[in-house]
Amino acid sequence: MKKFSKIYTALIMLFLFAPILILLVFSFNEGKSLSVFSGFSLNWYVELFKDAETLGAVRNTLVLAFSASIISTIMGTAAAVGINKLRNKYLRATMDTVTNIPMINPDIITGISLMLMFVFVGRLFGAATSLSFVTMLIAHITFCLPYVILQVLPKLQQMDKALPEAAMDLGCTPLRAFFKVELPEILPGIVTGMIMAFTLSLDDFVISYFTSGNGFQTLPIRIYNMTKKTVTPKMYALATIIFFVILALLIISNIIESSDEATAKPTKERKKASRHSKIIAGSLGGILVAGMLGVLIFNSGKTQVLNVYNWGEYISDGSEDSLDTIKAFEEYCFENYGMKVKVNYSTFASNEDMFAKLSSGAVSFDVVIPSDYMIARMRDNDMLLPLDFSNIPNYQYINENFHGLYYDPDDLYTVPYTYGIIGVMYNANVVDEADVGSWDLLWNEKYKGDILQFNNSRDAFGTAMYKLGLDVNDPDHAVWDRALEELKEQYPLVKSYVMDEIFNMMESGEAAAAAYYAGDYFTIMDNQAENVDLRFYYPEPTNYFVDAMCIPSCCQNKELAEIFINFMLSPEPAIANAEYIYYACPNSLVYENEGYIEDMGEEAMEILYPELGNFKELYNHYAYRSLSEETLNYVTSLWETLKIN
Amino acid sequence: MKKIIELKNIRKSYDDTVVLDNINLDIYDNEFITLLGPSGCGKTTTLRLIGGFETADSGDIIFMGENINDVPPYKRNVNTVFQRYALFPHLNVFENVAFSLREKKRPEAEIQEKVTEMLSMVALSGFEKRSVNSLSGGQQQRVAIARALINQPKVLLLDEPLAALDLKLRKDMQQELKKIQKATGITFVFVTHDQEEALSMSDTVVVMSEGRIQQIGTPVDIYNEPENAFVADFIGESNILDGVMMQDKRVLFSGHVFDCLDSGFGRREQVDVVVRPEDVDIVPVERGMLCGVVTSVTFLGVHYEIIVDINGFKWMIQTTDFCDVDEHIGLYIEPDAIHVMKKSEYSGMYGDYSSFSNELDELSDAEMEPEE
Repeated sequence: MKKFSKIYTALIMLFLFAPILILLVFSFNEGKSLSVFSGFSLNWYVELFKDAETLGAVRNTLVLAFSASIISTIMGTAAAVGINKLRNKYLRATMDTVTNIPMINPDIITGISLMLMFVFVGRLFGAATSLSFVTMLIAHITFCLPYVILQVLPKLQQMDKALPEAAMDLGCTPLRAFFKVELPEILPGIVTGMIMAFTLSLDDFVISYFTSGNGFQTLPIRIYNMTKKTVTPKMYALATIIFFVILALLIISNIIESSDEATAKPTKERKKASRHSKIIAGSLGGILVAGMLGVLIFNSGKTQVLNVYNWGEYISDGSEDSLDTIKAFEEYCFENYGMKVKVNYSTFASNEDMFAKLSSGAVSFDVVIPSDYMIARMRDNDMLLPLDFSNIPNYQYINENFHGLYYDPDDLYTVPYTYGIIGVMYNANVVDEADVGSWDLLWNEKYKGDILQFNNSRDAFGTAMYKLGLDVNDPDHAVWDRALEELKEQYPLVKSYVMDEIFNMMESGEAAAAAYYAGDYFTIMDNQAENVDLRFYYPEPTNYFVDAMCIPSCCQNKELAEIFINFMLSPEPAIANAEYIYYACPNSLVYENEGYIEDMGEEAMEILYPELGNFKELYNHYAYRSLSEETLNYVTSLWETLKIN
Repeated sequence: MKKIIELKNIRKSYDDTVVLDNINLDIYDNEFITLLGPSGCGKTTTLRLIGGFETADSGDIIFMGENINDVPPYKRNVNTVFQRYALFPHLNVFENVAFSLREKKRPEAEIQEKVTEMLSMVALSGFEKRSVNSLSGGQQQRVAIARALINQPKVLLLDEPLAALDLKLRKDMQQELKKIQKATGITFVFVTHDQEEALSMSDTVVVMSEGRIQQIGTPVDIYNEPENAFVADFIGESNILDGVMMQDKRVLFSGHVFDCLDSGFGRREQVDVVVRPEDVDIVPVERGMLCGVVTSVTFLGVHYEIIVDINGFKWMIQTTDFCDVDEHIGLYIEPDAIHVMKKSEYSGMYGDYSSFSNELDELSDAEMEPEE
């Protein structure tokens, strides 16, 4: 029996800590793969400390967590003292409940309502942008406050009510009595409350997501936005570090708690405890002040600000010895225009996220880089400003094929940044060469259980519609019904419906065939396991997409935005970005550059840059466009019937 | 004697409940004065008013000739010993006692000297470095007294300071408090609901009920000459009967006219008559002024407590003679054992032992735990 309970405990421990353990182990992996541990290395830690954007996010997160926890601790303690002094029982119960509501309120509701309030108040005062560091700080204080009160109030209630009176009796003013007698009594509660507030603020995502402004990005948001591509192992390294920091805080707070419980016991321990808490309070305070000073220094000086909003992992950021594009641009401005420029670089995870944020009116960005169909939608909603191409001379290097595309037929609003084509990758060790070349591979009975399909409706339906020669933008329900039949037929063959999981499943050879973006194929191929031999081809017809730089109507500094777009087209950053992102680039300065061609290799160039001959025509015909609400709903309902089967 | 504190027409209520109703009280220098009454009678509120922790709705508090209505506690020359001592848990014994001197920024040498002196007065020398949480209830009590007295206040307020101690310790502390008061010459204002404690320690007892002072007097006066049925019942045991004053020194009750020592009432005035249970003699029926049947007998060691039914009124009598239940006995009462009081609002509420039982009495004592 004893043995059994031991095994049981061990299993529970394993269940609880296995994920963290795996994270920890793979943060020391030499390679990128999640399936193969190729050797111990600290590379990812080194990479992490080179990644300026992530480190910036870490700094932001810490500054925010320190400020929010200190302010909410002071406010919460004062509130608890006030609530505790209420004589009226009912009023006190009401106050208790009211302060608890934010705690049980779902984060998402708190987040949305805070955003609404900030926007509303901002508009009231005529501010162009209302979300900033300050709003995020207010939001964090809002949700930390109840936790501090929850920790401090019981300590006040446990305390002998006569203590402050005794102090006053012995000559203290009420304020002095609070600091000399009450504070030492409730200090353990205050410190625990503060640590709690700190950790809550540190790992909050939902509320931060709704209330963050331009450029001030916290770590959880940064990580979320990076999931556009895969999470790189340097994030494992970061998560490992954070895990141990939180663990340390937890241990400290437990020590305080337990020595507080030992109150009744005589002497020394208690003194030690109060010394401990003094040291902690002191050091936390010290770090905060240092952090605040840092921010102040960082923000001082007259600088122009440029707010850029891009996909996560969609710019060369200085990691792995690449060019730090943002820093390079700031230097470029200083050297060529004598301007001190600060770029606030924020990222999004999907076109829809970006659109929601922008149309909330709570933020302003100067440059955004959405995808084609979303650009069309923004243009229709008057959310874009026409570009002044005299400020963007490098536009001349954009390939002719990328002029007059459907989302911007008169070339007024956009400068293409990258483009891509959906192709099919397969494991040549499993798939017969004779079966490749068209969409039929993904419907081939021979590879039952080895096929992966997109886990989003548009792309999945796309594969079926291209296969059948249907129009992917047809509003006719019958067309979509037909595509659904095709997907139903494929259903028994599919191993699973995936997005990012495709990286691991293809790399390890778990699956043999899948359609995906050409750019990502190279990332996967680089990591393929030894018994896997990945190849790639374009079926016909297939999907094309373009992501383009444009200036939204909320732009505050249009000229600087145009300088930025022009800079992004100049050789050094353009090549660095193309090499970093691995997507095809419409800029002739890139695809004709010999260094670039050499770096990419012949095979990659062939796949990334197929014959462009009639690209414009194909693109305008086969690219996804914005579907009407009604059609979208219909497609979603069809997609659900498929997944339910 | 010099008046130190005067309370004049003090009224105080919380929400709609009147807590103090027109309190007038003079407190004299070097006096041990006790506020005595059941819980909720307003004694603690009176003490807190003097300490400055409450403000009166109306009326004046005069301290050595000066109105201190608006003086905050930390500026009043009085100190308090709190009910549960309210020692500062994060400070050791020495620092607790030294607290007020440190607040006044006295020189270190003076602090050392005075604290040492105070601790030796309360017999706690050698406990300086101890944590207050490691002390027994009695020791904590002494620390609280030392801490309050180190300032040499004019008046020391004590809020039921002995309530939390066990009986033996309580008796010792009563002696000790009295000794300290004599030695220091400081006026003690003592709050308790324990009438024995009040009688044994005080120079003056103030009996309170329902926010009003019922009687002020020496312990002997209060016991022997209670002013109304409430006081008579609250202090000791009493048989309280309806009577009629026939003329000076002649009073009718229980269908019999008794000789007494009281005079100054109107002819045929309705009065309350108090007879203490220990003042009644048991005699054979034929010699008795009153006759009755014994309904219960309780042996209490020094004496028996018997309940006698006389014409439907149950008397309590304490006697060393044994009587049996259902025995017919006669009662004899000396004139000086009879105390006549004017009728009051409390008439008829107390003094009948028809529903009396020792058990019940103890229960109601236990309920008299301090609230506030």
